[in-house]
Parts: sequence; C-alpha cells; structure tokens
Amino acid sequence: MNTFWRQGEPFVWLTATAMTVTLLITLTLIGVVMINGLGYFWPSRLIELTLTDGTHVMGRVTQEDTMPNGSGKRLQLKVGNRDLYGMDFRWINGSDIHDQTYPVDAVAVERMEYGDFYGYLQTVTIPGLLKPPADPWDALSDTRRKLRRKEKELEAINAKMSKLNYRQRQIRLKRQKLEYQKKPHVEIKKLTDMEVQLGQAFEEMLVTHNQKIEELRRYTATFADANGQTKEIPMVDIVRVYRPNQMGVGAKIGFYAGKIKELLLSEPRESNTEGGLFPAIFGTVMMVFLMSLFSMPMGVIASIYLREYAKEGLFVQLVRIAVNNLAGVPSIVYGVFGLGFFVYGVGGSIDHLFFPERLPTPTFGTGGILWASLTMALLTVPVVIVATEEGLAAVPQGIREGSLALGATKFQTLIKVVLPMASPGILTGFILAMARAAGEVAPLMIVGVVKLAPALPLDANFPFFHFDRKFMHLGFHIYDIGFQSPNVEAAKPMVYVTTLLLVSVVLLMSMTAIYLRNSIRKKYQTGAF
Amino acid sequence: MPDSNIRRALVADSIARWVIIAGGVFIIISVIAILFLILHVTWPLFQSTKAQPVQEFKASGSQPAVLALGVDEYLETAFILDNTGSIRIIDLETEQMIDQHRLYSARQDSHATITGIDSYDNYIYNVQWSDSTFTMEAVKTVVSFEGSVRQINYEFQQLAAFPADTLLGIPRQTVARQSPEGGITKVSLLADNRFHVTQELAETNLFGITTTTTSTYFIEDELPGDIATFTLDHSGQTLYAGTTNGYLLRWDLREPDVPVLLDEIQAFNDGRTTTALALMLGDISLVVGDETGEVSIWFPVRSPAHNNQRKLHRIHTLTAHDSPVIQLLPSQRHKSVLSLSQQGDIHFDHMTSGRHILTLENDPPVQLATLSLRSNGLLTYTAKGQAVLWKLENPHPEASLKAFFGKVWYESYDQPEYIWQSSSGSTDFEPKFSLVPLMFGTIKGTFYAMLFAVPLALLGAIYTSQFMYPSWRKLVKPSVEIMAAIPSVVIGFLAALWFAPIVEGAVIPIFLSFIIIPLMALVAVLLWQSIASQPSFKQIEKGYEFILIVPFILVGVYLCSWLGPLLEEMFFAGDFKQWLFEELNTRYDQRNNIIIAFGLGFAVIPIIFTIADDALSNVPRSLSAASLALGASRWQTVWKVVLPSASPGIFAGVMIGFGRAIGETMIVLMATGNTPIIDWSIFNGMRTLSANIAVEIPEAPFNGTLYRVLFLSAVILFVSTFIINTAAELVRQRLRKKYGRFQ
Repeated sequence: MNTFWRQGEPFVWLTATAMTVTLLITLTLIGVVMINGLGYFWPSRLIELTLTDGTHVMGRVTQEDTMPNGSGKRLQLKVGNRDLYGMDFRWINGSDIHDQTYPVDAVAVERMEYGDFYGYLQTVTIPGLLKPPADPWDALSDTRRKLRRKEKELEAINAKMSKLNYRQRQIRLKRQKLEYQKKPHVEIKKLTDMEVQLGQAFEEMLVTHNQKIEELRRYTATFADANGQTKEIPMVDIVRVYRPNQMGVGAKIGFYAGKIKELLLSEPRESNTEGGLFPAIFGTVMMVFLMSLFSMPMGVIASIYLREYAKEGLFVQLVRIAVNNLAGVPSIVYGVFGLGFFVYGVGGSIDHLFFPERLPTPTFGTGGILWASLTMALLTVPVVIVATEEGLAAVPQGIREGSLALGATKFQTLIKVVLPMASPGILTGFILAMARAAGEVAPLMIVGVVKLAPALPLDANFPFFHFDRKFMHLGFHIYDIGFQSPNVEAAKPMVYVTTLLLVSVVLLMSMTAIYLRNSIRKKYQTGAF
Repeated sequence: MPDSNIRRALVADSIARWVIIAGGVFIIISVIAILFLILHVTWPLFQSTKAQPVQEFKASGSQPAVLALGVDEYLETAFILDNTGSIRIIDLETEQMIDQHRLYSARQDSHATITGIDSYDNYIYNVQWSDSTFTMEAVKTVVSFEGSVRQINYEFQQLAAFPADTLLGIPRQTVARQSPEGGITKVSLLADNRFHVTQELAETNLFGITTTTTSTYFIEDELPGDIATFTLDHSGQTLYAGTTNGYLLRWDLREPDVPVLLDEIQAFNDGRTTTALALMLGDISLVVGDETGEVSIWFPVRSPAHNNQRKLHRIHTLTAHDSPVIQLLPSQRHKSVLSLSQQGDIHFDHMTSGRHILTLENDPPVQLATLSLRSNGLLTYTAKGQAVLWKLENPHPEASLKAFFGKVWYESYDQPEYIWQSSSGSTDFEPKFSLVPLMFGTIKGTFYAMLFAVPLALLGAIYTSQFMYPSWRKLVKPSVEIMAAIPSVVIGFLAALWFAPIVEGAVIPIFLSFIIIPLMALVAVLLWQSIASQPSFKQIEKGYEFILIVPFILVGVYLCSWLGPLLEEMFFAGDFKQWLFEELNTRYDQRNNIIIAFGLGFAVIPIIFTIADDALSNVPRSLSAASLALGASRWQTVWKVVLPSASPGIFAGVMIGFGRAIGETMIVLMATGNTPIIDWSIFNGMRTLSANIAVEIPEAPFNGTLYRVLFLSAVILFVSTFIINTAAELVRQRLRKKYGRFQ
C-alpha cells in the first residue's frame, strides 16, 4: 500500500480527473447552448389539458419536474395569449390534469405584439364578403397571400416617408447651421420653405399610409383559446400562423428554415425578444470591420518595427513587455479610455469645431460606431502585435540574409520575402483580434452600443456611412435581453439563440486561427535551426 | 536604367525605413499613453482649490455699517445690505450701483435701524429692527435670458413681519425659518435665558384651503448654562443651541406647545463658549464653531449608553482657527462649510472627505463673507470697507484619499464605515465614494474564482503535458485554447440564468462534489490496479486515464445529486437556505459568489492552463528521461523533477489568470447582484471595480466627481493588472533563458 501511494498513481488519476472535469464542463456548456438555441425554433406540438376543475389549458410543454414538496410531477406550459392571461407561462400540477390531447386543428399564431396565441381558428372576416367562408383556414391562407401585395405597397410608402423624414432633418440641420453663422435671411427662408414643403408632403403621405393601414386592419381572423374565449386579430398583425400538430417532419424543417431566415435577416420585435437579429449582426460585423481597418495596419507596422527595424536592447525588451501586458489589461479600462479620449475628447472637439450649432445636442460627442471601433482597435492592437511578431520571428534568419545577399534592400526583403512567409502568423493575429472584438461587450457598453438603434450605420442616404450613429451588437444583445428585458423568462430562448450564433462565429474564427498558427509552426520548425 | 532602378529601390527603402520607425514608435507610444490619459482625467480630483481675487471695490465708508452681502451665481452682480435696511445692487464689472431697495418698506416713515441680523440659504435674512419689529426678508436673484444675453434681476420679498411684543421685551437674538410648506417658526432668546417660540403651521385641507394655526409658547427646561447661540433647521422643527459653558442642546419642536429636549450634552469639557452654529446642507449635520477657534461637525447617533436613543455626537473636526469663530456659512452645493474667525481668517472645509479646501488669511481682516449659490464665488467684506470677490475653483471637494480609502462617518450612520453609494434622488445627498467595498468585491470574487480555477487548470495542465497520450494531446490542447475565446458575456449569461437557478436548488450536492469526485478518482485507480494485471488490459497503454475516468465522474455526479437531498434532510432540516438564515444569519442570494467562482473560474482556466502547459512542456525531456531511467515512477518524476523546473512558469500562468479575473467585467456584472457590501460569505454577491464602472459610467456627468472617481478605479485596475502581468512576464522571460539552452 505504501508503494502505491509513493508511486503516486492516485495523483496521476487526480490530474486526469481535473482534465476530464474541465472538458466535461466545457462540453456541458456548449451542449446547453446548442440544445436551447437549436431547439427554440422547432415547432413542437400543442397540448391541450383538461383540468379536474373542467377548464382547459393549451400550450407547449417547456419544463417538467417534481413538485417542490416531492408529491408528484408538475408541468410548465408556455400558454402564450399574453393579452388574455397576462403571463406567458403556467405551472400545472400533475394531479390537476384530468385528460390530455393533441388536437389536430390547434393553431399557433405569431403576432407582432403580445407574443404567441394558441387556440383554434374560428372565422375570418373579409370586407365585402357577406357570408363567412366555409373553410376559414384556407380563407385565412388565401387572404394572407393576397394581403402580402398590399403590405408591400405599404412598405414602399414607409420607405418614402423615412426618406422624406431624413431629408427634412438634413435641411433643418443646415438651416440651424446658417442661423448659427448669421447668414442672410433669404437663404434661411429658402430652407424653411423647403422644410415646410417636405413636411406637407410627409403629412399627405401619412394620411394615405393611415388609410391603407385602416383598410388592411379590416381583414381579421377570430381565434378562440382552449376555453372558448375569442380574440379577433387583424391579419396584418399576424407574422406566422400554423397548425403544429398537423405538420409532418418536412413541413417542420421548412418552418425551421423560415425561422432561421427570419433570425438572420429581419428586425427584432417586442423589445428584442422576438423576430430577427439582423441589425445586431450587421452592427457587429461593421464594427469588427472598421476595427480591423484601424488595428491591422497599426499592429503590423508596430511589430515590423519591433522585429525588423528596432535594435534589440533594453528599450525593445521593455516595449515588448509593455505590449504583452496591454493584452492583459481589463477591457473595461479600454472602454473608460475610449469614453474619455475618443467620445468626450476627440468627439467633443469635433462637435465644437464643426457642429457648434447643434450643441448641446452632441453629434460625435456621444458614443457611436466610430468610437467603438477605435476603442476596440486599441484593445486588439496588442493581440495583433504579439501574433505578428511571432509570425515574423518564425521566419528563419537565413532566408532574410539570403535575400539581402542577393542585393535586395531591406524593404524589398520585407515586402517580397519576409511578409509573405509570415502571412499565416499575421492572419492568425487578425482572426484572433476579430474574434476578441466580436465577443467583447464591456467597453462597447460605454462607447456606443444601444439596445435598439433606430437606423443602421450604413444606408442609402448620403454619405452612406454614418459613423456617428449608435449601433447594435450581438454580445450586448445577450446582456440586454437576458438581463434588462421586462419578461426575462419569455426572452430566454432568444438569448440562447443569440448566444449560439455568437459562440459559433467566435469559435469558428478562433479555430481557424489556431489551425493556421499550428500549421506555420510545423512549416518552419525544421528550417528554424 | 538599372542604376535608376537601384536608386528607386534605395529611396523606397529609406522612405519605408523612416515610415516604419516613425509609425512603430508612434503607435507604441500612443498605446502606452493610455495610462497617462486616464491618469490625466483623475488628476483634478487631487488638485488643490484655487481662489483668486477677481474684483475689489469700495463697499461703504464708515457709516452706515455693512451687515450683509450677496452675490449672484454668475458672479456678475453683488448686493450690500447696511444697517439702515438699504440694499444696494452693484454691477461687478463697472462697480456702479445699478439699483437700490429698502427693506421693511411697510413703514417707510420709520427710521428704525437694524440691530441684529441672521441669514440662511441664499439669501434669507432674519432682521431685528431697533423698534423691536422682526422681519424675514428674502433677496432672490432671477436669471432670465433674452436670446443668448443673460439678465440678472433682483426680487425682494418680505416673508413675514412680527410687530414688537412688549411683554417679551427686546430678545437677545431671534431666528426664524420658513418651512417648504410655508409655515414659519420663530424662536427668540429672551434676556432671562428662555426661548420663546412662535409656530405657524400651515395646513392645506381637502378643498385646497390653507389654514394657519399659530401657537406660541416658552421653552421652560432647566438649562445647564447661558445660551450663547442657537439655530433652527429649515423645517423649523429642530432647535439647536450652544451654551457659554460647553453644552450643546437640541429640542424637538414638532409638537406645538410641547418642546422636547432631546439632547443636553457636555460637548466640550473645557467649558468653552459656542460662538457659531449652522446646519449643513441637508439639515442633518450641525456645524459648531467655538471661542477656541475649533470647528466641529455633530449629528445625532444611536448611542447604547442612552437606550439606543439618538444623541448628538462629534463626527468630524475641521481645521481650527486661532481665534473665535464668528461666522459659519454652509455651502448650498455640497457638504462643505466656510468659517470666518474673529481675526478675519477664512477656512473652507468639506466635512465628508475631511478635506481642507482653502485658507484665506487676509490683510485687512475680513469681517463678513458670503458664498454664491453654486459655491463658485466668495464675497468678503474687510475691515477697511472694501468688498472683494474671490473666484473659487473647487470642482471636487468631496474627493480625498480618506474619502476613497478610509473609513468615513457618513450622515445618519452609527459608526464610520466603508460605503459606496454614488448618487441618489435628492440634491442634499452625501455622496459616498469609498472604493474599499469595490476593491474588496474584486478581491473576493477573484479569490474564490482562483480557488476553483487554479487546481483544475494546473492539474489539467500537468496531465495533458506529462501523462496524456501524445496524439490526444494535440487535440485537447487546442480545444482548451478555444475555450478561452468563448465571449465572457456568454459565460456570464449562462452563469446567471442557467447555472444560478440550478445551484440554488443544489447547494449541498455542489459542495459534496468537491469531495466525492476526487474520491471517485481513488476508486477508479484502485479498480484499475486490480484489473490492470489482466493480460487483456495490458494492451491499453498509459495515457488514456482521462477517458477511463469519465464513467466514474458521471457516477460521482449522480451520487452527489442523490446524497445531497439526504444530507440536507439529515443535517439541515430539509432546507439548507432556511438553515443558513436561521443558524448563521446569512441570507442566500441567488446570484452569489459560488456562481462567480464557477463562471469567472471557467473563464480563466484556459489562460492558466495554456501557460502552465507551455511551461511544463518546455521542461527538457532529458531531465524527466533521466529521472525515469533512475527508477522513479512517472508521478515522482513529475513531482520532484518537472514541477520544480516549471514552477516559475506555472506561477506566471496563475498570475496572468489572476490579472484576467480582476478585470473581468461582464461575468461579474451579470452573475452578481452588484451590491457593494463587505462580506466574505460565499452566499452573498458583491460589486467589483470593473462592474461598477460599467454600471455607473453611463450615468456619470462628464468631468463630474463620479466620472473622475470611476476613472480612478480604472487606473487602479490598470496599475494592478499591469504590475501582475509584468511580474509574470519577467518570470517567464527568465524561465525561457534558463531552459533555452536545452533545446
């Protein structure tokens, strides 16, 4: 027994346990995110329960567990119909359930407001149609298809209106500027007239817009919940209506694909807890892109200087330590710096110099995508420097000397020989930096991320890029809907979906980076010595 | 032709050289300049106050005597009240009189002069006239804008007038206050050392009709000495008095006709005379000036010696004067007070931070002083009849090292404490800027996270680098590295919304797992040893332990979840949280330190793991091969040979992980309750420096004190992580040098 302990085999197993526990935790976390994120869009069956007191409940089973006091099971149902019941979820004790069925004609309705509706389709009201249609389901599908065209018209009007609105705002800002500069009244008058004209055009459009909506809202469908309580829903408010209990696997896959498309391409609804993530995805991508524009050249130039031009010595050593350390400085510190330097410092000065007429309303003196990108660029420069340096260091000295011996200048050697060879290392740095920027939230919260941006930072209005605009971000989206939405329980699935998206993007990027890094290590390992 | 080519190449080369050198140096310097820019923002917190005389003008000759002065908040106009009751308004730029007004205008014919005056706020005067009339006069500055031109006008309002009361004779001093509801309380100190109180209570009934009831009464309590001075709070409900023999007294006047003597304390054992009393902004703290020149702050504190009743207690002692204090002017902006001594010296002190803001020793001595509403200007009146306007630059009086790092006795607290509470709804709030609870929270969160992460990461690194089958190692190491890329917001979200509810129902099983899972490893090794001798298992090479252990761990997890409730039933009466509350008086927060330990720990495991693994793998194979060849077991080799050689690198890894945990923001922001309390209990939350920045900086006004304090906490974070990382980096570089020769 003594040798058993002395040889230390149990300790080896202990270390193995630690390794396995770490891996298991990781797998569990990824599994939790995957299951919750992927499962959310799957149209699961609607169950109708008949309770012992004679009432009916319809919904989707979300959880099943034992009662807190240990007596029997209980079910958590998502019952939807928030406008009728006031809450989305309901716990039902197993002992209260008298009977359960999966009615084939149960309908799930996704709405623009108040979340889902679960119940039965009763009738459809179509203006001009006196008798209610024989088959309301077909009539509903038909009419919804027809309404799509009218909705398109409405969207076109909406787009025009927002364009008018934008132009009006531009003219108002211009007028403000002229007034501030005390320009002659004639010019101001001209702008004021234009403003008034645009305003009138806008008003007219608003009238037609409202008429159209009015007209559309007359097409309604009446639903009844499991207890027969009816609810009339205008068809324009219906995002999606389906009968999950009748859907086959193929239909469900189609439905799932439709939901994924919505997730990636449409705007969020219901304070971000429903609908798509498009603005957040777009904001994240654009911020990362802008950040790359700043941090990549900076990082590469700095590391070329350190590795190729600077003389090795105490100074370079110190700088290298400092740069390594900057990679470990808390991200929130960069955020604080960004706020103090970029937003209030640079942004405030820009406002004073170029937009004094708009003060005290800030233009650049508040968080925006430009400042966020610059802050992130600072945060990721050390990452790029470290990775690029590693890449440059891996290029064998002999190759440089060979190039120089053939008569190439140092710069030619750098451009033609060293950089191409170091490019996988540099690329690794880029990807790591981008992954870091995509996942980092804390500094962004301070310098320009918002929960709901009214407009994208890139649009069809001149000058197309609007660097002063605030933007949405996937990581902040998680924080916001998970922690600051009024109905956290109902928002949870959306958080999981967002998480899944973010995690897969970031992990994919990191895996690529690590793969690239390992491959260059292999490539030069033999040539290095 | 080739010549020009070469020349072009050389030119390009030298241009590139300079561009790269300039660019490189610039980038590096600017990145490093971050610290200095952040420091630059915090710097004004510690800058001393600047006071500059900007204007000096003749206020009067010898007659009539100047009794009071005022200045508007933009420091553009001033007014001077003399003893005839005349107010002259002076434009400070031209030094010309622009308007004049006579107080007490109801009796224009009267030649009454002012015999006593007392002022509070900006600017309400209690005026005692020579014909025994008493009036309350308000002087208001009204700022209006015409376009962008500022106009300052004065309004005069007589709030109350009390005709002479022949029964009482001429009181020694009278103080009156108008409460926000409109009722007036007037307290007169009579010649026989009694107080006479007149209280008007304004009550508005259901129909909006206001009725005033007036009650008058004497305060007949037996007093320990002669009253030297007294004052009232803004609502007129509390009366404070100081005696000539060192006593402080406090009455509650809330109940009409029934004054209650709350305090009668011997404040000063040497029996000195109180010469001035005033209430600080917020009406909680009493500032006391006495004949020795001392200025002290007092407020009622629950005292065990008096049945836990609130008794006046000396809280702060401000900078002392050399001569008796004659005037105390509490700022209307923050919790600071300006005191004027008989010799004409002015002190300006902040009570919370204990910061001495300013000393002005003047020649000729100052007789009167007044602070502007925003405390950005000071108007003094000297013995030579000159008025001097001082501009005060004093943006952060509440900042001091003591306020940030020391225990401070805040208003309404029973003892000095470390508190962070930066803002509240009311304007007279005392901001509490102690960084100690935040630093404590940071260290606490980091400590427990390291407790979880270090063993797992280090043991895991030892296994991966030394024992694991090499082809698996190539797979495992990158996957742990990829863990490092999981965004912290994701970990925070999972910790708070997925893990916290699980832990809440499974506290006992979680604790149990720390014992049972290592035990399962022992069980596994015993089982393995007993069957490893079988020939069919000989095939399995060493290095696969981590797969073999998986079923044991799963069984262990199952055992924990099965044993947990049983143990809870046996030892904690079925409900651990209830037991915790009843037996240990600890409340269980859902988002607590256990969650942080796991979440934050999980975030730093990959960092520690990667660096430790590198350090362990870089130990030359020759060393361990030699050890194994000499007959040591594989564990003995690792423990005695590899670990000591790699220990600096491992230490560096732990340090870098520690640095990362200190600054991590999103996880703590999401998975703690963000309550800035000092409590080591793992069942409570905390607030860390980084989360505090994220929570508060969006609301902090630009360049305000809170803004700069948050920058200060960023500096603390920066400096501490910088030191930790530098230490780790130096250790690593030394290690690299030491073992570089083996490779």
